[in-house]
Amino acid sequence: MIYFDSAATTLQKPEAVSRAVASAIHTMTTPGRGDYPAARQAAELMLRCRTEAAEFFGAPEPDSVILTHNATHALNIAIKSLVSPGDTVVISGYEHNAVTRPLYAIGGVSIRIVNGRLFDPEQMAEGFRRAVDGGVKAVICTHVSNVFGCAMPMDDIAAVCREQGVPLVVDAAQSAGILPVNLGRWDAAYVAMPGHKGLYGPQGTGLLLCGRGVRPKTLLEGGTGSLSRQQDMPDFLPDRLEAGTQNVHGAAGLLEGLRFVRQRGVENIARQEANIIRQLAEGLRRKGRFQVFDGGGADSSVLSVAPQWTDPESLADRLARQGVAVRSGLHCAPLAHRTAGTAETGTVRFSASVFNTPGEVEQVLALL
Amino acid sequence: MPYYLFLSRSITHAQRMSRALEQAGITARFFRPPMGLTDRGCSYAVRVSASALPAARERLRQAGLQPMRVFYDGGDGTFSETTL
Repeated sequence: MIYFDSAATTLQKPEAVSRAVASAIHTMTTPGRGDYPAARQAAELMLRCRTEAAEFFGAPEPDSVILTHNATHALNIAIKSLVSPGDTVVISGYEHNAVTRPLYAIGGVSIRIVNGRLFDPEQMAEGFRRAVDGGVKAVICTHVSNVFGCAMPMDDIAAVCREQGVPLVVDAAQSAGILPVNLGRWDAAYVAMPGHKGLYGPQGTGLLLCGRGVRPKTLLEGGTGSLSRQQDMPDFLPDRLEAGTQNVHGAAGLLEGLRFVRQRGVENIARQEANIIRQLAEGLRRKGRFQVFDGGGADSSVLSVAPQWTDPESLADRLARQGVAVRSGLHCAPLAHRTAGTAETGTVRFSASVFNTPGEVEQVLALL
Repeated sequence: MPYYLFLSRSITHAQRMSRALEQAGITARFFRPPMGLTDRGCSYAVRVSASALPAARERLRQAGLQPMRVFYDGGDGTFSETTL
């Protein structure tokens, strides 16, 4: 199979990831639940994962790195910590349901949506400058659109937030491991990311990076192995946000995925994946039967196209039967499709990882 | 042999204190201390020999890691709270 659905989950993982998961299942229990070797080994693993993630993503300290189930879990914590009914927030017009549904669930939230043309960061930055003022409770913005792959001008958005004193939440679901992501550089309140996409970890892993001084609310309450007589959740991180038994074997895999990314280098990964996307976009454009959404370049590892002779689902289904994995439809981001004008039909999305090759692109183009 | 116990708020905090001290050549095992040392239930502590206290204090200060409470462990089952 030729796999081009890495924006959902990377399928090909470094060997070290699966080895680490298997090893952890057989050798580790849960940190903080005992003083025996299997528990201590798990504690050591979790600390290594937090420490290396904090270094890589500019989190203040290892304690600021929360191991979550996925980016959606992380975003829910961040959004529900900052936003209450009656508040006003600013989001981009390219947000995933992982952002919009929690806002909807809170209820009574006034949402200012910054719309801008695809692949026009200047216009997006200007939109945020106009939309964000001191009355805004939070800015929540995806770093890279999961549908179109366009990168948001995060440095500019972060600067606006700093000037206005508004907390920034970054959804790095499509950028972690692919583009530079740094909480400290943005002075963000929270950065959320999955482990199973660009970080090459297993499904069921994610990270929430917490900025200095944040006071997160709990999404779950329960055992933490600390302050057990107290019925309030601990007020310190990471315990406050990690109730219940942790996904230690997932963290073991995530750590190895993170090391793989660090070893390869984000710049090299970005260049390699952008080359694949560019090759694909140029090939599809030459065919003349697709609307290609790439802005003439490649911001990231995601490319959406709209076939002009059939619907996206039929094309994706045909490709699946021919051994090519892509994703069709709205990609859980109806807002992004409304903004781009593709809400009626959706698109076919190709998304690359470092394991894709130019030869695979040629094979896919030959089928289209 | 007398020890000092550095109580921490979480296992992560205890591990970080332990790691910082070990990196400075100070033996510092983290563990779960007797329940009687805390009135809030399970906690963690790092044990350091009394002779290493000055170096441990300095290392933790450099690392920005402060224990929540400090106890002197006389080695006979008795603990007395002290300060760094």
